[in-house]
Amino acid sequence: MKKLISILSIIAVLATLVVGLAVADEAPIKIGTIYAMSGGNAAIGENILRGIDFAVAEINAKGGVNGRMLEVVRGDHAGDPAQGKSEAERLITQEHVDVMMGCHMSTVTEVVAQVCTQYGVPMITAISTLDRLSDPDHEAMDYFFRLCPLNSVYVEDMLKYLKDTATQTGEEVKTIAIFTDRAAIGQELIRCVDLFKDKYGFELVATVDYSSNATDLSAQVLALKKANPDAVLCDSYIGDATLFVQTLKAQNYTPKLIVAKANGFTDPAFISNLGNLANGVASVVEFNPDLINGKEINEEFKAQYGVNMNGHSAESYTVVWIFKTAIEAAGSTDGAAVRDAIAKLDIQGEFPGGRKIILPYDRIHFENYDLAGVQHYRDNTSASVAIAQVQDGEWKTVWPFDFTDTKVLYPAPLQ
Amino acid sequence: MSTFLQACVNGLLMGGFYSLMGMGQNVIFGVMKIVNFCHGEMLMVGMYLTYFLCTTFGLDPYLCVPLVAIIMFFLGAVIQHTLITPSLGTKSFTNLLFLTVGLGLLLSNGALVLFGSEYRTIPTSYSQVYINLGPVTLALPRLISFGVLIVVSIALFAFLKYSTIGKQIRAVSQNPVGAEVVGINTKRIYILTYGLGTALAGIAGALLTGFYTIFPTAGASFGFRALIVVVVGGLGSIPGAFFAGIFLGLLETMVALFISPSYSDLIVFVTFIVILVVRQLIIIRRK
Repeated sequence: MKKLISILSIIAVLATLVVGLAVADEAPIKIGTIYAMSGGNAAIGENILRGIDFAVAEINAKGGVNGRMLEVVRGDHAGDPAQGKSEAERLITQEHVDVMMGCHMSTVTEVVAQVCTQYGVPMITAISTLDRLSDPDHEAMDYFFRLCPLNSVYVEDMLKYLKDTATQTGEEVKTIAIFTDRAAIGQELIRCVDLFKDKYGFELVATVDYSSNATDLSAQVLALKKANPDAVLCDSYIGDATLFVQTLKAQNYTPKLIVAKANGFTDPAFISNLGNLANGVASVVEFNPDLINGKEINEEFKAQYGVNMNGHSAESYTVVWIFKTAIEAAGSTDGAAVRDAIAKLDIQGEFPGGRKIILPYDRIHFENYDLAGVQHYRDNTSASVAIAQVQDGEWKTVWPFDFTDTKVLYPAPLQ
Repeated sequence: MSTFLQACVNGLLMGGFYSLMGMGQNVIFGVMKIVNFCHGEMLMVGMYLTYFLCTTFGLDPYLCVPLVAIIMFFLGAVIQHTLITPSLGTKSFTNLLFLTVGLGLLLSNGALVLFGSEYRTIPTSYSQVYINLGPVTLALPRLISFGVLIVVSIALFAFLKYSTIGKQIRAVSQNPVGAEVVGINTKRIYILTYGLGTALAGIAGALLTGFYTIFPTAGASFGFRALIVVVVGGLGSIPGAFFAGIFLGLLETMVALFISPSYSDLIVFVTFIVILVVRQLIIIRRK
């Protein structure tokens, strides 16, 4: 009798275990996200989360990952690194997320990535561009990967674009000038141009700066006019960007090529404030609805949310697909296994069972590499931005040439 | 040479605004001996007021100028009567300093709440018209604004010199006790003066909307320059402020042209400090 009871209890225990395992197997895979959902950057967080939700819905509708559904667990860093850290710890220790995405601000990303590495939770950032996140000081953060291009790659792509325009315009760019804010964004632009200008054979003929919210930019424009470069590279906030273009016109100076590093130039108010004057201004964009591989998804996205997909939503969307592909390759959600799978991942053209890469590049592969003399770790080395130009009052992608049918408007008409 | 001419014109056109801001500040300082730290924010209020009038009633920004001047005058008068006059009684400089600084913060944050942080412009049919005069190009809105500025400045000179109220304002500014003795109602003059100063800032704001973006902190850079103009031109001196404003505009563009645009702010502020120190030394020597 005793024997029977013990056998029965063993069976009962085993049954519970089996049932338990079966249930666990069907439990969702949890993706932790840490973005600003309150405070001044909440609008940015919203766009990112839309991209994530869109990808999750798409994957779940196709049967999930290894038969398990995806679930998003949201954390809010409100723009504060300290809060980002505590949210990361909460998501990992209490919500038991399997993988992590974040953040919007690189300083928060840095802290969250350290927490993830400590707990062995793989993390990918979709949009944190600060160079140092992958520099030798952060070599040990080996659960952290970056999809988006680095700040300096943004600038390198601006220079590549200028180099490539010759094939369409027939005129080679030889001299460049920088027009920018004296604040941190400007210093970053100046530093990066300096890193790459020789590689592309450009001569920097003028660096013109001003303090934010300038009362007048005519002196700066005259300095540019005097230097008369083939192309002007700029980075400004919206007020100064608007004044800059107006002043160019007022001083009767039209640089043939103007390329901006987003910021104020891609603010929706830029075109609405300037109207026709904006025509011809080009800027870096991470995604544009007219990208060859982006048109289709943008329509579906717009039907659902009523707005165009932007760079942040497109990059976040892509990260969810990377996690799906890596977890399937790893065969489990074990942190170390998924981390190794991400490190080995090499997506060419399209995701298995998914779309073509919707961003302006066709490969995703995380590598350690050397960028302008500095070693970097676990970045997507194929990442690139696109260049869009205002044509007829709309942003049209003009570069990379393989990803668009629109030609560069040259020289920039500014009217 | 053409660049030099263009830079001169640019400096002149911008200097006109600094003059107007400085004169408004100086009218107030001359009479009440207070530095109006929210002068830049008054310019910003003038900009938003113009924006509001243009978008709501479809008015041309330049037609709004008289309206804005009148509304701003009453706004200034109310502020003077309800906030500043009571504080003047305390004879405490810090009290007034905090009052005007606080008022400035209130106004710019109020604008942020009411209008959001977007940068707005008022597009007009002529906002993109440019006039070529030989080697010099002029944007039509800037030219109109400058013309109006000059008219306003001359009107201000004439008003202060010939009208009864103008004479009373000057009397109070020279000797408030004496003015009161001869029967001038100084409190009324205070109200009129602050209203006048605010109206001048409002006019500057309205004239700027033709070619500048409107945002809640737009007044800060102009307010700060108004202070420089006042110090360089002499506290309380209206003609001094006029010429100092033009001088500041020209200095900015000339430094940018001959040295580097990067140093234009730096050199302007260094000049400001040098003038302050030199003037102080001269005053000490005279004593």
